[in-house]
Amino acid sequence: MNTSEIKKLMISSLNEDADTVEVSGKLRDEGISYQFSHTFGDKVLNKLFSAGIAVTREVEFVKYMNFAFYRIALTGVAAIVILLISIFLMQGSLSFNSFLGLSDNYDESIVCLLTGN
Amino acid sequence: MINKSYNAPGEDELVKASLNGDKNAFGEIVNRYQKMVARTVKGMLGDSVFAEDIGQEVFIKLYYSLSEFRGEAKLSTYIQRIAVNLTLNEIKRRKRFLSLFSQKANNEMYEFEIADQDIEVRKEASEMVNKALLAMAPKFRVIVTMRMLQGYSTKETAEILDLPIGTVLSRLSRAQEQLRNILEKL
Repeated sequence: MNTSEIKKLMISSLNEDADTVEVSGKLRDEGISYQFSHTFGDKVLNKLFSAGIAVTREVEFVKYMNFAFYRIALTGVAAIVILLISIFLMQGSLSFNSFLGLSDNYDESIVCLLTGN
Repeated sequence: MINKSYNAPGEDELVKASLNGDKNAFGEIVNRYQKMVARTVKGMLGDSVFAEDIGQEVFIKLYYSLSEFRGEAKLSTYIQRIAVNLTLNEIKRRKRFLSLFSQKANNEMYEFEIADQDIEVRKEASEMVNKALLAMAPKFRVIVTMRMLQGYSTKETAEILDLPIGTVLSRLSRAQEQLRNILEKL
């Protein structure tokens, strides 16, 4: 069977009245088949009936933690950038004082503010 | 190790024995259905080691949910549902991960470029089928996998995917259109 015939077969398998069993059989005859490795069954049983299951769950946990970390890290970086921009727009600079919101105040006025004199 | 000499008992017997902790009985279930799971998982995810990991997860999930299996549907249908759900979850997980870095992953259609150097590879039928399937949107890919690779009827596909027959028919038609467009490029 050449490539165009296989393409036709693939498309025809989606016809409402297609004989899907025949189509899938023909495709399998053409070498379109999927299999797991020959040790697949043993791997499953080892995971189920040994300490392997704990490892699997640990790997899953690490996988989800990695994903969560990326989300949190990206959100954090975006928040920091927005904060820096807003400080720059409000204070006109990114100095240490502007971070503390002190750029427009003199030391004396802070002392007055704190002591009430 | 799986005991290969296990006599051919029925599904119910295997399930009961597995629930009673019979390792060989569950090994027999794995032996019987692993090719079916491979077609679903590898058909939808591509032929990779990750697909094998998902395949293992399917049977692990099956083992822990066997007590919920009431025998109303065939065991194969029950396993297919687990396989389809886990595979679709994996596709969503990959899509979410990729969407952090690229807008392309958000596109419904998984467009891909066909490079000239791929001409030789394209000649191989299985490679072509893999490429075509991976280029399809997941909701159509699962329909094509069920029909084309597993040989299920519309009714069986609807039962496995837990969808109304009308929805399956509509997706079949749209999947066929998408598959035709993709195959034209290959």
